Amino acid sequence: MNVIYLLVLIWLALLICSGVLLFSRGFLLARVSKTETSTCRRLSTNHNDEYMLTPEVVNEIFKDVNASSNLCLPQKSKVIILVVDALKYEFGLYKSNITEPLPYENKLSVLQELLERSPDQSRLMRFKADPPTTTLQRLKGLTTGSLPTFIDIGSNFASPEINEDNVIDQIVKSDLPLVFLGDSTWTDLYPRRFKRAYSYPSFDIFDLDSVDNQIMKHLPKELASDDWQVLIAHFLGVDHCGHKHGPLHEEMARKLTEINEIVSSVVNAMDNETTLLVMGDHGMTASGDHGGDTDDETNALLFAYSKQSKFFGSDSGSDNETLQQIDLVPTLAAILGVPIPYSNLGLINFNIVPDVPVPHLSKFQILLLHAWQNAQQIYRYFFKYAMENRRTFDVQEMDKLETEFILLTHRVQTIYNGVAYKSFVRDLNASLRDVLSTCREIWVKFEPTQMSQGLLFCFLPIFFAFLLINNSRPADYSNMFKPKGIFYTYLLNLAAGVFGYRYYKNFSFKSEEHGVIFFTAITSTVILAFYTLQHWTSIASNWANVKRFGHMPTRLLLFSIMAVFFSNSFVIQEAKILSYLLVAVFLLFSYELLQQSVRFDFRNKFRASQFLRSTALRLILASILAICFIRFAYTLFRCREEQGNCTDFATSNTSGFSIKKPGTGKTYILAVVIIVIYTTLTRLYLRSCGNLTGSSPNVLLARYGPTVATICAGGHVLLANSSIKNIQRTHIDAMALVIYGLLLLQIIVLSLAPLMTFVLPKRNPNIVTVNRNDSIVPEIFKKMKRMYEGDDAERHTEIPIVYGLATVYSSITITFGVFLAMTMIVLLEPRAAIGLVVCVAISAILLSVQGILRYRTATSFESCVQPTFMAVVGWFLLAHFCFFATSHQTTLSQIDWRAAFVGRTSGIGQSNIISGALVILNTFCGPIFFFCMYALLSTETFSLFALFPNLIRSFSNSCRSGSKTDAAVAMSDIANEAVGFDMTRGELTLYEYEDVFLGAGFKLATQFFMLQGLKIFCAMLACTIHCRHLMVWKIFAPRFIYEALATFVSLPALIVGYVLLLRINRAVDDLIKRINKAKTQ
Amino acid sequence: MVSRFDQQKTKHQLFHVSLSLATILICMTYMQYRRNWAYLGNFWDSLVVPIVFIGELLKVVLARFYGRIEDGVLTIKQRQKKAAYFTARELAGGFTLQFLCTLLYAFICIILGAPVLGNYEETFVLSLLMTLLTVSPTVFLLGGGGALQVCFCEKPDFVTKCEDTALNLFKYNALGGILGAWAGSVVAPLDWGRDWQVYPIPNIIGALLGSAMGNIYACTHVLYATARVYMTKKRA
Repeated sequence: MNVIYLLVLIWLALLICSGVLLFSRGFLLARVSKTETSTCRRLSTNHNDEYMLTPEVVNEIFKDVNASSNLCLPQKSKVIILVVDALKYEFGLYKSNITEPLPYENKLSVLQELLERSPDQSRLMRFKADPPTTTLQRLKGLTTGSLPTFIDIGSNFASPEINEDNVIDQIVKSDLPLVFLGDSTWTDLYPRRFKRAYSYPSFDIFDLDSVDNQIMKHLPKELASDDWQVLIAHFLGVDHCGHKHGPLHEEMARKLTEINEIVSSVVNAMDNETTLLVMGDHGMTASGDHGGDTDDETNALLFAYSKQSKFFGSDSGSDNETLQQIDLVPTLAAILGVPIPYSNLGLINFNIVPDVPVPHLSKFQILLLHAWQNAQQIYRYFFKYAMENRRTFDVQEMDKLETEFILLTHRVQTIYNGVAYKSFVRDLNASLRDVLSTCREIWVKFEPTQMSQGLLFCFLPIFFAFLLINNSRPADYSNMFKPKGIFYTYLLNLAAGVFGYRYYKNFSFKSEEHGVIFFTAITSTVILAFYTLQHWTSIASNWANVKRFGHMPTRLLLFSIMAVFFSNSFVIQEAKILSYLLVAVFLLFSYELLQQSVRFDFRNKFRASQFLRSTALRLILASILAICFIRFAYTLFRCREEQGNCTDFATSNTSGFSIKKPGTGKTYILAVVIIVIYTTLTRLYLRSCGNLTGSSPNVLLARYGPTVATICAGGHVLLANSSIKNIQRTHIDAMALVIYGLLLLQIIVLSLAPLMTFVLPKRNPNIVTVNRNDSIVPEIFKKMKRMYEGDDAERHTEIPIVYGLATVYSSITITFGVFLAMTMIVLLEPRAAIGLVVCVAISAILLSVQGILRYRTATSFESCVQPTFMAVVGWFLLAHFCFFATSHQTTLSQIDWRAAFVGRTSGIGQSNIISGALVILNTFCGPIFFFCMYALLSTETFSLFALFPNLIRSFSNSCRSGSKTDAAVAMSDIANEAVGFDMTRGELTLYEYEDVFLGAGFKLATQFFMLQGLKIFCAMLACTIHCRHLMVWKIFAPRFIYEALATFVSLPALIVGYVLLLRINRAVDDLIKRINKAKTQ
Repeated sequence: MVSRFDQQKTKHQLFHVSLSLATILICMTYMQYRRNWAYLGNFWDSLVVPIVFIGELLKVVLARFYGRIEDGVLTIKQRQKKAAYFTARELAGGFTLQFLCTLLYAFICIILGAPVLGNYEETFVLSLLMTLLTVSPTVFLLGGGGALQVCFCEKPDFVTKCEDTALNLFKYNALGGILGAWAGSVVAPLDWGRDWQVYPIPNIIGALLGSAMGNIYACTHVLYATARVYMTKKRA
């Protein structure tokens, strides 16, 4: 019966996750980057070289063009590349007939002049970019010749350095010196490649001039020196001007005029053996932004000029109107005589290749050699990629391309004149463009269908879960979800999945996954809608009882949490925003406490002395303590690049162990002290609950395990970071392994014998030793008799005494939490471990405040077992706040990879799955921990009152002005009167109302599902809305990835929490039955 | 039945609300006049705190003015309370309460993210303004002890009807001010690079606007109630 709830939870989790997965398939374009590089034999004109060009060699080559792959022709000229960020095509067009030009028109007059003066030596072309049109992605495209996607799988996240084969590396390998000036993105992508680099950060988007001025300062000097073969200058002013003012501002005219002057000065200064390329990396929209795929953004400008040699003309078979940006790489390789990078997909465009004669080769032979080398490289890459990543491309498409290629390899043998070459190269280019478009289909385009369906399929289950589960009473779920119904639900979903898998092509879905997700989601939605309609009457009546504008402050908080995703500034400052909201939760709690105490304690007159003694004040002080903790966590946040003066993101690149920052020694000590305090306090708590008595396996583990774990964790923190050199790694690893082992042991014990209770053996059956003056009351298992036998006569003979029964649920959850937290502490850095413990402390305060408030506002057991909406939101906030408090940030470069090696440096368990799990456990320790512990929200109310029965008395006393004096006896009656059930029995009450309790746990879990689902939905929506935003790949997409991962992790964590609850409940059930049996005998 | 008292009450409420709105309007005009808002965080340079102070005082005077009608029907407790208004004890108590409240607000500002070290003046001005918007009017009206009672008890027995009216309106003012100051922080993280995004300015403006909103809400309530009374009367 109870498993049914679990199945429903799993079903809902699968639905939400599949929606997220579908969205990410459409939004995050992924490509596997290859690390192979191309090489070539250089044909040289120098007599001393191995492959000197002689007529014999040429004959050899043309005897079998296919066999002679990997050839490089000699270098044709030096190259100057002026990259002007966001130089749109329209900026370079000269319109002679307009009298009042717009600010961006007719400013680059030097281009027009050169085109008119020497049309054969200059070219002005449309330079077509592939989306995403952001500078980083464009630079990757311009140098590797491939289509850069957001995630290039296999490239390293930690640093932006490109490890795919690229033209810069090929130039360096061919011993051609490079000089670079301008935007530091280049030096981030290609560190240590340049002979001289003058790089300046591009971060300040409102600074139009400083980078450009620096370039202009150094450029003349560099042009004068002749020790380089390639010079690259990257100007940022135009782009920044576009972002700040837009293209229609006077500033744009000024910047473009500056560029004009620079170009003309470079033209004057360059020598005859140099080719000048002026290009924009992308365009801009009418508002000056870029990132998307409209024509305005993708149409950049390319201008080529060579002083002496002419460019190849239109007979070369290349397009002379437009140049695809990826074509630049092979073209550059052809000009410089270096191998074409391995993963290039572009074609050589001969319109901008200077026609420099090569000895013993005719013009068409040069062209043919270049074109065929290029074609061979592309096919090699394409088929290799397709082989290694099956299912990426369509099989029929592949077959077609392969046949074409084989035909071409035969045809290339038979070309002996220019005419044949022309028709051949036309077909070759068409075939290569097919390859490109096949790749583009997969790597470049957002898929709106997948994105919109992902959004929809994520939203629908949340919506129906809200209607169905949030608006029903916990006791009704057992009627709602019958085993049979759930069985059929799963069966139908399975059928729908199989149907989708089989027939996805008939519905023109791209992949099986899409088909499966689509049909299961549709089926499940229909089933959920059916359930909702079936129970509509009860839902409607429950909904009518909800206060119309209730929980307004909490809703406001929730709204703020969700709104964070929609602005890049909010995402950047998310840590502070979350703590702001969390503090607000505590302030609201304090306000409510004050209100409650006003209502109960001080009807007519306020007495300071009474207030000072009241529980409310103590709780308010505790809240203030929690708030101070939150404020303290500010110091643990890690900053991100965009926040300015931030050094954290830079240090995370250097791998792990050896960094020594000043003053961290204190941090280690502090971390150890805090860990010790944490375990000591939990131990004290458990002991005062009576859960550490007896000798059941879990009790033994809880008694000694945390101590061992603490010693190991402390030792690991100190030793792993110490500067002492001669410690063996295995000794440090052993400590981490002990902690992993303890967690595993705990899980095993939990599944075998979870209970932490102790049934006192009967020493003298006639004497009942119940010490009621002690504050540790709950050992007394009161009223056992009345509840389970109903026979009053035997009451005095046998009352079984069970230790720890009042906190039977929470104690086990807490013990599990201790081991989980210890594992996380070992994985986290010392600083972050402090953050985790601080968050645990905050959660403890949140639990106690909410427990007492809940009891005061509850009217029945049912409402008492369900935490308030504010507590749920607070817990949810805390889980996400913990992510930031444990020194994490939502940028891809700040993932803490160190965690993958904790306890594994000596070569134990080298599997990637374990590494991944450890990193995930490190990164999402907050959500995992707090969502596993979520059941405490409903049980802690009860254990608190079992622990401190005085609480009940003080409330009821004030309610009824102390008419009852014999409190000890009457306590349960008082509680009965106040809430309708006996609170003093603690969590045993939960067992008595088992149905409601398990239903409430289920409801709580679905509430967290809804919150998390809403959050990821907002993240996806923000990505959809901002998919053309400048910062989409830098801020929104990483934020979405983190949130998606958090969802994938926290939904299972919630399910684990619920499984834990079910397991304990069954064990309690067994225990009670056993006791009853023993008594009846 | 609409008595003469109630008409007085409505008048009092409307005057009260218009006084608060006028105060905020004057503040806004002043800010418009000064153009540059960077001075708002300075204690000596900004006139916002004195303007709000005078506004609150005027509201208390208004309550006293309307209160004189009920002088004849006061209970003994109310009479005692009234007599003790200007004693040294009450004055000192009121002052201490306000001071403590300012400290509390400063603490809240800091835990909500204001710099711990530095920006003391700004934090002080903000917390002073919050005190003036929330606690001060009650203290001015009832004295220190009275204000405590009002805050912590459901229905203290010394509050006259007229004072009760004023207290109700103060509540709207205070809630609006707190929410406004809290929500004002929303602009702080945005990267617009405006000079008015600096720490206390959005919160101060938020507090003023929030209390204006609270007053407008109260005003609509009063007008709605009167309109309903008027309509029923007409129908009858």
